Amino acid sequence: MSDDRDELDPGARGRTILFFIGGVPLIGLLAAAMVQLPRSGAGHSLYGDLLVGAAVRERHVTDVVTAINFDYRGFDTLGEELILFASVMGVLLILRKSDEQPACDDREDERQTRRAPPTSEAVRALGLGMIGVTLTFGLYIITHGQLTPGGGFQGGVIVATAWVLLYLAGDARAYERATPKPVVEAFEAVGALAYALLGFAGLLAGLSFLANLLPLGPIATAHSGGTIALLSVATGREVAGGFVLLVTSFVEEALAERAGSS
Amino acid sequence: MSFSAILPPIPVALPLLTAALLGFGGKHTPRRLADAIAIAVATLVTCATIYLAIEAAHHPIVYWFGGWKLRSGVPLGIAFVVDEAGAILASTGGLLTTLALLFSLHYFDSVGALFHALMLIFLAGVCGFCLTGDLFNLFVWFELMSAAAFGLCAYKAEEPAPLQGAINFAVTNTIGAFFIVVGLALLYGRTGALNLAELGRAIGPTPDLLVVIAFFSLTLAFLVKGAIVPFHFWLADAHAVAPTPVCVLFSGIMVELGIFGIVRVHSAIFAGVLPVPGGLRDVFLVAGGITAVLGAVMAFAQRHLKRLLAYSTASHMGIALSAWALASPKGLAGGIAYLVGHGLTKAALFLSAGLVLHTLRDVDEIKLRGRGRSHPLVGAILALAALGLAGAPWGTLLGDSLLDDLAMKQHLHGFVIISWFAGIVTAAAALRAAGRIFLGFGAREPEAPDVGGIEGEAPETAPSPRRVPVPMLLAPIAALICGTLWNLWPPLRQSIANAAGQLADHAGYLARVLRGAQAESIAPHLAPPSWVHAVIPPLAALALAFLTLARSRLPFAMRRRAAGKLNIFWRPLRRLHSGHVGDQVAWLTFGAALFAVAFALLYR
Repeated sequence: MSDDRDELDPGARGRTILFFIGGVPLIGLLAAAMVQLPRSGAGHSLYGDLLVGAAVRERHVTDVVTAINFDYRGFDTLGEELILFASVMGVLLILRKSDEQPACDDREDERQTRRAPPTSEAVRALGLGMIGVTLTFGLYIITHGQLTPGGGFQGGVIVATAWVLLYLAGDARAYERATPKPVVEAFEAVGALAYALLGFAGLLAGLSFLANLLPLGPIATAHSGGTIALLSVATGREVAGGFVLLVTSFVEEALAERAGSS
Repeated sequence: MSFSAILPPIPVALPLLTAALLGFGGKHTPRRLADAIAIAVATLVTCATIYLAIEAAHHPIVYWFGGWKLRSGVPLGIAFVVDEAGAILASTGGLLTTLALLFSLHYFDSVGALFHALMLIFLAGVCGFCLTGDLFNLFVWFELMSAAAFGLCAYKAEEPAPLQGAINFAVTNTIGAFFIVVGLALLYGRTGALNLAELGRAIGPTPDLLVVIAFFSLTLAFLVKGAIVPFHFWLADAHAVAPTPVCVLFSGIMVELGIFGIVRVHSAIFAGVLPVPGGLRDVFLVAGGITAVLGAVMAFAQRHLKRLLAYSTASHMGIALSAWALASPKGLAGGIAYLVGHGLTKAALFLSAGLVLHTLRDVDEIKLRGRGRSHPLVGAILALAALGLAGAPWGTLLGDSLLDDLAMKQHLHGFVIISWFAGIVTAAAALRAAGRIFLGFGAREPEAPDVGGIEGEAPETAPSPRRVPVPMLLAPIAALICGTLWNLWPPLRQSIANAAGQLADHAGYLARVLRGAQAESIAPHLAPPSWVHAVIPPLAALALAFLTLARSRLPFAMRRRAAGKLNIFWRPLRRLHSGHVGDQVAWLTFGAALFAVAFALLYR
């Protein structure tokens, strides 16, 4: 068995040995350093204590994590949102060949006889039923980030899941019709755009970039937290759009391959 | 409110906003509109960062995002700390992005505005990385830069080679980035701080294993990005497959930021607890020296022009890492002068390689022998830029001059020898290619050795009838002119001195951020570059290139013996640079362990 592998890939053994010679002491040292960390709950963080103490009072939000993500450290979130945006763009670039020329693979012809069975009625019914629930839940998580755990990132992924259910319950062609790519692209970009524009709004108001502009509202209401809620919605939009775009690109790629082989 | 009080976020926020706008149009944005918008924004960012560099010359600017400043002495929000070094590197990034976009005006295979959007996102990452004063924020911009870079690297995805090269690049660099998170977690767990200055204050004066391993983890990511041996394997694969304008950014600024990342993190956080002179110095001098020599040798062994230039980049980053290890304000000044000077001349080199690919439809030195005779201007630009690698006044002259001077004073003769060797050999390799392609020098050698890696280079542009488009020629010439200014214009030398003074002033950095103090750092006095460096190494490089090309005239027996000896040497090197991502990860792990053990032993 291992001889076969060596023949296919002559460097495999040397590579494995080298990896372990390095990996063992490396992991040992990392572990030795981590042991010196304060025990869970025992350490104290000036920064963490400050933020936990300040968020409810200053920002009228009951979920401190969201206050950190979209206000105290909102600039990090702009960068993170754009990391997703850039990654999705990268995938679109790499998969773009499926737009123009369908890939041809001779082996696909042989596989034609082993087609995937049609979606069963049970999956179809359950999937369609779940879509509405999932979508509602995702939107709730996006819009209530300032009150309960959640926010744009988490909610955006849940909303995108609703679209994947559409693909699972229906079929690829139906999915493709329901998600025209240019529309999703624009939907996603508006999310990224809105976040950056809210940052500039702070500058234009004579404050700092991403400064909170709006009235904070009463604590524990849907319109508390000022700009936080808007930034959360912008992020949710970007994340949902980005993930749907990813799934769409891969579905398109699969469809193009099927078309090329039939 | 003064202008410099609102400017710091612009170099990051403006390109991001524009990228989102271009993404909105997607594939349907008219090509020329995207060109115009992207070039305008890159130019604006360049101007903004140059303005910041002028403003920060004496007093670095501290900018708090969201208006969250210090609370009971603890930073609450994210800070940008715009110092001279950061602003200089950010403006270099802006300039190179502008030139690369100018050069790519004639690229045919463009998917609407996706290319432009990714270039702008990359630029935003570069600026954020240079200007930030917060460790987590530093990681965010580092990742943003990488995410955009992976996409740009795989741009020519119709062929298998670009995908393979981009995968090698993405896998190794993502492992590196993972170690930033490890270092960050260790430091946050110990101190509960993320602001660089606050970390520098909270970390205390005594090094223990946690601090050492945290420093190691942060450094490792930057060593991978900076292509230091044995983390350099991805570099040639990524450069060989990426479109030429993207190579300009990879070699001109991204790899440089790997070295700058080490300097930034060390100068802000670790300068008090892990001073460079105590032990670290030797580790980095050795690593830098090995990288400089191996990179130069590998560069000389290539026939694929872009791959040759990529290895030369690794070699020069070895010198830059050693510059920092010389541990003095003058060494830092030499390092900054070297990084930017190298970035500009290397940009000109990659742009000329792009011109070669555009006019001759290939970048293989052996295949193209003599075929460039009808394009003397392209050949001249390539040869001039190549001389910059050896220390011509548009390249690394000021850096070489400052560093050699300092190393002689510290009795590090080995450093001087290696830096001359690296400069001469890498320049000679590029000159040899220029001589062979544009003058038809050297014998026909179909079986010349090509050491390792991914093959294949498809043209990136539609052939233009006879004349090379003007913007494509202007871009490398502009890079060479900027390089000359950088090396010779005295006000810029003063900027470099200020930048080095600020980077060397750990206490001043802390005081500025944590107490709002307006302390001015002491800038070292920098002598003008010596003409010895401007003349002798370039001449030596020319001589070496000429000798290599003329070796077919040597007596046959001598050639045979030399070839036999060299083969013993090439075969293991070729096997080492297999282009297999598994090999690269194994070497990364092994190299990481070497560094970790060395650091741990030093601070037992």
